[in-house]
Order: sequence, then structure tokens, then C-alpha cells
Amino acid sequence: MRKKIAVLSAICLGLVGVITINGCIESKRVADKSGAQLWSENCQRCHNTPAPKTFSDEQWATIGMHMQTRAQLTNTERDKIVEFLQSFNHFN
Amino acid sequence: MDIRRMITYGLATASLLVTSGNLFAQGLSGKDSTSTQEVAQTVVTMKPGETNFMMVGLTTFGFINQSVAQTGAPTLKTNSMGDADRYEFSPMFLWRHGDNLLVEFEPSWNGSSLGVNWADVSYFAAPGVIARCGYIVLPFGIYNKRLAAGWIDKLTSDPIGMDVAGTDFGVELEGGLPIGSTKISYDVSLTNGFQLNNDGTVTNGFLVAQNNGKTVCGRIGFLPFSNSSLEVGVSGLYGAVATPAGATFTNTNPSSTAGPTVSMYALDLDFVHNYNPIQINIKAQYSATMVNSMNYTDSLTPSLSFTNTITDMFGQLSIRPSKSNNKIIKNLELAYRYVNYVTPKNSAWGQNYTESDIALDYWVSWRTVLKVGYEMIKQNGTSVDNTEGFVNNTSTNTNNLIIQFSTEF
Repeated sequence: MRKKIAVLSAICLGLVGVITINGCIESKRVADKSGAQLWSENCQRCHNTPAPKTFSDEQWATIGMHMQTRAQLTNTERDKIVEFLQSFNHFN
Repeated sequence: MDIRRMITYGLATASLLVTSGNLFAQGLSGKDSTSTQEVAQTVVTMKPGETNFMMVGLTTFGFINQSVAQTGAPTLKTNSMGDADRYEFSPMFLWRHGDNLLVEFEPSWNGSSLGVNWADVSYFAAPGVIARCGYIVLPFGIYNKRLAAGWIDKLTSDPIGMDVAGTDFGVELEGGLPIGSTKISYDVSLTNGFQLNNDGTVTNGFLVAQNNGKTVCGRIGFLPFSNSSLEVGVSGLYGAVATPAGATFTNTNPSSTAGPTVSMYALDLDFVHNYNPIQINIKAQYSATMVNSMNYTDSLTPSLSFTNTITDMFGQLSIRPSKSNNKIIKNLELAYRYVNYVTPKNSAWGQNYTESDIALDYWVSWRTVLKVGYEMIKQNGTSVDNTEGFVNNTSTNTNNLIIQFSTEF
């Protein structure tokens, strides 16, 4: 009986592990999000969405890292948001 | 020396110089070539050395009209252009080295003293893994780490007691991980930990550990929707509490040699969503702090026995017609917050504290706000004596009218 429980537990844990590992891949819906979309969704969780052209490219990169430590953004989210905000510095 | 011999010697010397010069140049040239390749290889394999230093920060100041009515005492009214809870000037210095290293330092002046909010170094080790060390904000709940800045706070004061976990020296690991269309975030720290004071309160932030035990703290956040509109979090903290030299508290069980410990937990919620043209913003946090039972003392009562548990909560709602076509209305935001903070009954600092705040904010820009707020605070004393002013069965009603300006610079 104990052996069966142990085997069943191992199978369950394995399934949970597989589902978790598999789930750790972001869905296409999330992966396809643009920097603009992530900017509008994530920044407002704590404060107003920051206006583009507030900082230089280098400063946005620094701010992006700082905000990642506060909001636990993923690297992809951070990079896309920073690129989106930096892109405004290259328009007249 | 005849002229012929002089010419011969001169030509020989000149040819020797030219030859040796050529040889030397060839030698150098050969070395240059090799060296350039080596240098090129070295440079290619080096990590980027790009750095960026910048200063941002925040300031909050304003006018406070306060009325304090305490049982058996005349009402006290004051007008002030600032007070300790509502004035702050905090520049934040950020230094980035490449894509992996960030140094953060935020000193803060509250009008009377200069302190430090945090001073740490973060290493972005891998996607979803940030390691940090230094003087860090403990990952307990959401308020302290994300919402405490005046230009972020929708109301005119911080909810009392939210800094119970505070800031401490230690190490931290955090990150965000996508799981399908959802996301989880984790944040764990190991710090020097708390010291227990004679009256039962705890303090931390000691550079040199007060005991060998360390405090573990962590928060797991879950964002169930792909648009990140909702985040729920659970936090926990546990650690052995140091006993200061000359401590007068004793274990309630005389035969026990176990030292005091502190445990905390918190639940938090963050919901922000745009229902065109209105933005709804809800924030809430509940926390409990428990120190195992000891017999405490204060200057008036030699032995205090009480259940050393603190509960603290706030819930706030704000609405903003951010998509309105009217330039004035779209920048207005109405916010309400309820706060309840209960400290141990029969301690020297026992009180049941409730606060209701309302504020109308005008956003001058995305990071500059003018707030007009009204705060109604009621404190019912449950203290065993009058050491800290919360005498049992007395109440204090405080009303604050506040006009406040806050900006991020």
C-alpha cells in the first residue's frame, strides 16, 4: 500500500513538475505583446505611465533596471518597455 | 682624419642607424600586429563597460491643519507647513554598469534628520534572477517597496505600521517568471534581523548582527491575467530576535531557555484596470506580527504580560477619468483609504487605531501631483499605563486637512 502511495505521489509530483516547467514558457499571447502594450499595462500597476522623452536612452536603460527590481518585471517586459520609451528619443 | 675616411665613417654610421631603425621598426611593427590581435581578442571577450550615472528622486511637502481632541484634554489645533510624516526630500542615485549591475542609493531628509531609505547593489544574474546585497527594503507586502513614494501615494499620508518589516542589512534574490499567460514574482531576503526591546516592540536595521540568528523574509506574487491588472501576494517573515544587553524582559516559562522569535505574514492585493473612460485602482494589504510571549517591562510597570501580536491593514480605492476628453477632468483622481492598526492590549503601547482618508488629486504631470486631503484618525487606548500616551479607555480623535504637493524629479 505504501509503495502504491509513493508511486502515485511520485507520478503526481512529476506531472506537476512537467506542467510547471511547460507552463514557464510564456504564451504566444504574452510573447506577442508590444512594448507600448506592456508599458501601459505594467507601469500603471504602481504609478502613472511615464511620458516618453523624459529621459535619454542611457537613462531609460538605468530606470528600466531599477523598475525591474521594484515590480519584478521579466527581462522581456523590461527590454520591450525600455525600447519603446527610447524610440521616442529618435523622433523629432 | 682625412675627408675620405670621414665620409666612410659617416656613411657607415648612417646606414647602421637606418638599418637598426628599420629593424627596430620592424620589430615594433611585428609586436604591434600581435598585440593588436591580442587586444582585439581581449576586448571582444570583455563584458561591456558602459556605465550610466543618474539622479532622480522625490519630494513631498504641504500644509497641514490639525485638530487633536483627547479624552479629558482641551482640543489642540495647529497649522503647519509640514510635519514629520508628510515632508520628504529624497534624491535617489542610480549607477548602472553594463546590463548586469545596478547600484541604488537613496538618502532622505524628513525635515529634522537625514536617513537612508536604501543603499544596495543588484546583480542581474539571469532572466528572472536578480541578486542584491546591502541595505535593502524587506520584501514584505507591497506598500513599502512600491507605493510609499509621495508622488505614487494617492493619499496624503502613509498608512501607519506598513513599515513594520522595514529595511535591513542582508542579501536578496528576486525575479519575475512568465507561466503561460500568467506570471509569478518571487522575492526572498536574508537579513541581520530584529532586536526585542524591553517594552515588547522590535527594531531592525543593525549593521552588525545582534545575534547569530538571521531573519528570512519573502513574498510570492501571482498575476493571473495576461494584462497584469491583478496581483495577489503572500509574504512571510521569520527570525530569532536578539536580546539586547541589559534586557529586563524574561521568558514567560521560567524553565525555558528559548530566546524570542518574530514571525510575520501578509496578504496583499493590487488591481488596476481601465473601464473607459475611468481607471479603477484598488490596493490592499493585511499583515500580522507575532513575537512569542515574554514578560516585558517599562518604566512604570515592572512586569507586563501580554500577547505580543500586531495586526495592520489598509484598503484603498481610487478612481480617475483618465480617458476623459476634458483636459482638467482627466487629471483629477478621487481616492479613499481605510486603515486599522491594532497593537497589543495591556502593553505599554496598546491602541486600536482606525483612520479614514479621502483625497482629491490633480495630476500636473505623470509624476507631479497636488493633493487636497482630509484624514480622520481615531485612537482608542488599550495600554496598561501611560508610558506612551495610550491610556486604557481613553480616545484621541485627530482630524487633518492637508494640501500637499509631491513630485518625482
